[in-house]
Amino acid sequence: MNVRRFTLYALSVTLAAAALATVPVIAHHSSAPFYDATKKAEAQGPVTKLLLRNPHSFLYFESEVNGKKVEWQVELGPAASLTRTGWTTDTLKPGTIIKVSGQPSRAEGSFGMCCAKVTRPDGSPIQPGGRVMEEVQPPR
Amino acid sequence: MTDLTAWLEGTALATWVRESASLWAYPTVLTLHTVGLGIVVGASAVVDLRLLGYGRKLRIGALAPLFPLMAWAFALNALTGLLLYIADATIKTGQWVFWLKLALIFAALWVTFATRRIVLDNPDSRPEDVIPPNGTMLAFASLVLWTAAIIAGRFMAYIGVP
Repeated sequence: MNVRRFTLYALSVTLAAAALATVPVIAHHSSAPFYDATKKAEAQGPVTKLLLRNPHSFLYFESEVNGKKVEWQVELGPAASLTRTGWTTDTLKPGTIIKVSGQPSRAEGSFGMCCAKVTRPDGSPIQPGGRVMEEVQPPR
Repeated sequence: MTDLTAWLEGTALATWVRESASLWAYPTVLTLHTVGLGIVVGASAVVDLRLLGYGRKLRIGALAPLFPLMAWAFALNALTGLLLYIADATIKTGQWVFWLKLALIFAALWVTFATRRIVLDNPDSRPEDVIPPNGTMLAFASLVLWTAAIIAGRFMAYIGVP
């Protein structure tokens, strides 16, 4: 391989890598094997626990589904990045009522969600001044 | 077994890796594990490809200094791997793909020692490089085993996680 062809090759590999790198950081690995992006799950209820950990944090809350009380498991980002947005283990104390919408788990009979939007029941962000992950904001 | 893994997870070190908000905890450990992997498998792939006939102009013996480098990088990965393991010992111990990864690494190491023997048997004092008849097979096995170990490691995030 001559130098010019090698340079061209190296350049195209770099460009391909750069293109992949522009995929949002939140999608650093696919959630598709576990969660169904074509469906939407929504629920509201009190927080039972918040586990801030790496590589993924988990938030648990209770709600009623078809008259039965269930515990949802919401997969969140790593502790190392959630903490950077101001979350601590005290951010969502047990009993806090939250509203969650996200992609439901594919596992039959399970109550899991990922890529979720978590807000107060009125749709306001969890953290004062925090971000709500939705294109259309609710009217104030 | 669960008692032991639960104890491991409860140690201050494991808790720090798993729960710390610091970029020096989980993110750095995992990054170093990837860097070490790149050096071990990258250097070993260079040896394997040379044995398979790529870069014939290069004397096989010239690759000898790669082996101490691989050893240091492997030590780094044994250490960072241990940290990642204790952080989630119970889950990882229960994953068959974790044990498959370890088995593949041990097999790959064994094959790498065999390719090292071939490289060390070809010093500059030899007028011509000699690759034993099983050299091609060993080089191919090394490439396959290290690649399979990487795949098994990556799939630990997807198979057998609750």
